Amino acid sequence: MLLEAILIAIWAGIIGIDLYVGLTHAHRPVVTGLVVGLILGDVTTGLIVGGTLELIWMGMVPLAGAQPPNVVIGGVIGTAFGVIAGQDPKVAVGVAIPFAVAVQGLITLFFTIFAPVMHKADQYALDANDKGIERINYLGIAILFMFNALIAFLPIYFGAEQAAAFVETVPQWIIDGLSIAGGIMPAIGFAMLLRIMIKVEYIMFFIVGFILAAYLELPILAIALIGLAIALYDYNQNKHKQSPALEEEITDGI
Amino acid sequence: MVSNSYQYEDITPAQDLQPKQIRKLAWRSLLLQASFNYERMQAAGWLYAILPGLKAVHKNKKDLSKAMKDHMEFFNTHPFLVTFIMGVILAMEQKKEDREAIRGIKVATMGPLGGIGDALFYLTLLPITASIGASLAVNGNIFGPFVFLILFNIIHFGVRFGLMSYGYKTGVRAISKLKEGTKHVSRAASIVGLTVVGGLIATYVAFKINYTWVQGEAKLNVQTDILDQIMPALLPLAYTLLVYWLLKKGRSPLVLIGLTVVVGLVGSYFGIM
Repeated sequence: MLLEAILIAIWAGIIGIDLYVGLTHAHRPVVTGLVVGLILGDVTTGLIVGGTLELIWMGMVPLAGAQPPNVVIGGVIGTAFGVIAGQDPKVAVGVAIPFAVAVQGLITLFFTIFAPVMHKADQYALDANDKGIERINYLGIAILFMFNALIAFLPIYFGAEQAAAFVETVPQWIIDGLSIAGGIMPAIGFAMLLRIMIKVEYIMFFIVGFILAAYLELPILAIALIGLAIALYDYNQNKHKQSPALEEEITDGI
Repeated sequence: MVSNSYQYEDITPAQDLQPKQIRKLAWRSLLLQASFNYERMQAAGWLYAILPGLKAVHKNKKDLSKAMKDHMEFFNTHPFLVTFIMGVILAMEQKKEDREAIRGIKVATMGPLGGIGDALFYLTLLPITASIGASLAVNGNIFGPFVFLILFNIIHFGVRFGLMSYGYKTGVRAISKLKEGTKHVSRAASIVGLTVVGGLIATYVAFKINYTWVQGEAKLNVQTDILDQIMPALLPLAYTLLVYWLLKKGRSPLVLIGLTVVVGLVGSYFGIM
């Protein structure tokens, strides 16, 4: 079982990267089913469990910053358990889901603790140190690999059922709390943008954008187009004003 | 001096990027989310992707440093469509556009492309190709996964590489037309950018109270009966402005990320969020 667990862990590491970097979508359960099936020596069952998990995970995509249960770990543990125990894919899903949810909580945590590294990146940027910037990105990839490989290895090597019981001892409120925090997190990025961009003369456009989304629930593209219309109007107004600018200053004084 | 602070030192436009260089940048765009985090999101990956382009157009070391610093600012968009923004921004960098205009265009395009990308790829392309693959796989057909991967990635890489050169050509053409009045262009870009940021806060910050106050027969849902009545997306706006205020007071973003985790945990522990 050790060799199989290591091979599956390596696959989990690779597709753990693909979930964020590369995005060939080899991390989808339909592909993982085939690979895990090959490793465990039962391709047909692997395909069937992977295909079933794929249909279940179809709607669970990272939309608008919301983090769905982790498809990498869910897919790997679900198919491995389905093939090893010969279980109905629906049961395999039941075993896989607690892992998938817990792992997504851990990824939220990882994205949080990786933030300090950005200050190192700022320094590299200031020094025009391109190698430093590249190293930081490679570091992120290395962590994704190690993290996913380790998480996949442990339950497969020690048995998914014992591991699932262990995962369930983590209080639900911690997992929920991390996911709530993940939902609020974009506020920090937007606040930082505001800090850089806002000037008193621009506040009105910010308010307009907010109202269009909050009250009228318009999609962002529509809001951007309305912003563009305002900007074009403003641009043309300014262009016409440009030539008689001197006269205007004089009349303003009176 | 002050009025020039948004200009590069060397403002002679650089040579056009070669198709080979552009393809290299498109490959590097695969690493957009390699250093993803909640403070800057894709910023360092974005800088990684455009870095060879920046180095090619900014021979002046100080200008390169300025550009790199600017591109470390918060950035987040759809990881497939990002190449379009890369193309436009590199065209602007090459023409040594006003740095505020470059920032404005970046912010104005990242939000809408994020939304379009989600709809196009996660809600359309992925379900279609994955269900074709899965329907073969559940019948034990070994070609299922391959059919999925090939269909999905032909479109994925086609879009990624196609948009890169399309964005670059569009950028070069549009800028030469707008060459005069860069100040107005950067003002226009800031207007679109801030309108979008206003919309992004209401759309993408998920901050809701999940608590119903019960008194005998009377039930009062704090979110729908009180907060939404005052103003929809009140809490996302309030929290963003609070963070903005704390940032202005010099608090580090890291402290604010920690604060947000605590808010989530406390809200979850007491079952109010």
